[in-house]
Amino acid sequence: MQIRIDNASNRPVYQQIIDQVKRDIALGRLIKDEKLPTVRQLAKQLAINPNTIAKAYRQLEGEGIIVTKPGSGAFIASLDSSLSKAVRKKLLSDELERIAVEAFHMQVDKETLLELFNNAVEKLNVPSKKPPSGVPKGGQSNE
Amino acid sequence: MNDNVIKVENLVKYFDGRCVLDGINFTVPRGCIYGLLGRNGAGKTTIIRILLGLEPVTRGRTFLLDTESPNLSPKVRGRIGCVAEGHNLIQNYKVERLIKLCKDLSLQWNDESFGHLIETFRLPMDRKVRDLSMGMRAQLNLSLAMAIEPELLILDDPTLGLDTVARRQFLELAIEVIQKQDRTILFCSHILSDVERIADRIGILTAGKLVVDCPMEQLKERIKKLRVIFSESVPANLYLTEIINQQIQGREMTITVANWNKQKQAILETFKPSSCTEIPMSLEDIFIECTKPNPQPVEVS
Amino acid sequence: MLTLIKREIHDHPLFFIGSVILSTVLIGLSIATLKGHYWIELTAFDSPAGTIVSTILVFVFFGMGAVQMDTDRTRKISAFISILSVSRNRILLAKIIAGLLAILIALVPLAVTVTILLRIHIPPIPVFHVMVLEIFSGTFLITLACYFIGLQAGWNSGRLPPVIIGLILTCILLTLIIIKGFMPEIMIILTLFTVASLIRTWHLFMSTPL
Repeated sequence: MQIRIDNASNRPVYQQIIDQVKRDIALGRLIKDEKLPTVRQLAKQLAINPNTIAKAYRQLEGEGIIVTKPGSGAFIASLDSSLSKAVRKKLLSDELERIAVEAFHMQVDKETLLELFNNAVEKLNVPSKKPPSGVPKGGQSNE
Repeated sequence: MNDNVIKVENLVKYFDGRCVLDGINFTVPRGCIYGLLGRNGAGKTTIIRILLGLEPVTRGRTFLLDTESPNLSPKVRGRIGCVAEGHNLIQNYKVERLIKLCKDLSLQWNDESFGHLIETFRLPMDRKVRDLSMGMRAQLNLSLAMAIEPELLILDDPTLGLDTVARRQFLELAIEVIQKQDRTILFCSHILSDVERIADRIGILTAGKLVVDCPMEQLKERIKKLRVIFSESVPANLYLTEIINQQIQGREMTITVANWNKQKQAILETFKPSSCTEIPMSLEDIFIECTKPNPQPVEVS
Repeated sequence: MLTLIKREIHDHPLFFIGSVILSTVLIGLSIATLKGHYWIELTAFDSPAGTIVSTILVFVFFGMGAVQMDTDRTRKISAFISILSVSRNRILLAKIIAGLLAILIALVPLAVTVTILLRIHIPPIPVFHVMVLEIFSGTFLITLACYFIGLQAGWNSGRLPPVIIGLILTCILLTLIIIKGFMPEIMIILTLFTVASLIRTWHLFMSTPL
């Protein structure tokens, strides 16, 4: 698990850890039942206060994203695709909000912004929503 | 036991008629890592010297391990490890002799872990302290402080003059200390990224006052910088409590507020701004905002 | 405690070597002077030899005290040690004991030699022995007092007035002794002066920020 702490960020360190774990799960880099590094290991690896990591792990556990087993460590909880999807949606919507703010400060109007967005979607071939009837039960859309 | 290892009560210090510390209050509970930030000359070293009983207070009291600073007995001092600014140690002694002196004067000494540190840092025994590089002196200083298995570690700008690798080694060492139960650390540093990484609580010293004293993780939530734009001019009667900084340019007002909450949000909204966006702040940004000269320092707690 | 004293001695080996040399020189001088003369002619402070000896001692140990404290201040040694598991009292005590040792090394052999010489040359008249005792305890006290003043001077080495005051006081005392000799009143004044010097040195060391 590769976590990077950004000192220029406006998010507290523990929040950055939480964000990156969620991101890794959403992007499939962390899979179900995978073992996370212990608080000590991660503290040593990143050179951060173990209490910060412990707090991040506690919050992740509270949100049901990881499970800690005493004596064994922390593991990625079994996630259903809807939770993963919710996380992914949130990540994207946060990103989009940031772009909207930028646009505001750059004084780019709404229509231009939407035009730019549609151009990007076209250019990068973002697929449309699949019709509901064709999806097998329990299948995961992995991106 | 959740007692307070460090207690500072209404500390006031004057140097030659100039007020350096103007009513400082804070406590550091056991097991906490407290990062004290401030610009050069803000008074961080003075606070540490006062805590250690090296300087007298003008007014107020300070306590280390429940003992008032001027009365620190050798027994209590033996439980405190100290790394002083500049890592001066005793310049003309050989490393070996300095180590022996510290060992003979200590209450407890962990030879094994000390030897391990010396090996890791590859500190030469027969060289004089003044012939060591700053980085090596810092490592020696830290090793000596840790060898006595201190309950409290006081570090004054410990990474000053260290190169990147040495700094990372120091941080890792500090984290090893933290892993041990009930060890408390007070440290001052200029390197904000280091402080952000390892501190539990942070204090920012400006103009003789502690303008910030709160848990690290809440700092970024409590201090907000907002760009507020009004359709006409900025209302003259706009008043929010705990403003750290305020700049007005035409219709636009940039304001940094401490202890941001819903009430303040509501108050701001009553003035009907046409837009209000948050400007993200890193620890460095927060530090710079809080240390700008300001007639009314505000306390974030 | 022993560690601190040993450290002090280790740091200033020249003092002790110097003391030994001084002692030897003074012994040599006294042998040369006393040989063949009647002791009665030479109650130590009536003769130029005695004045010279005491002046030397006084200024040498004033200097030693000053150098001892000044190097400590410059090298910030006490500042470093005071953070360790040691009380300030002990640090100062170790310094003073080291200084005392140096003074005793200079004076005691001399005292012993003079006593032996007296035994050899002069019939055992008790008053001479009392006189010798007086002379040496007086010399010891004034040397000690000046050592303390030296310590104070070294501590304040940034500022000249305390040093000058210290030296003036030393000279006054010396003159007093030269004129009056070691009469009981002088001895009392001397003792008080030495104690006062010690107290002032102690107070200075304890209260000044290191």
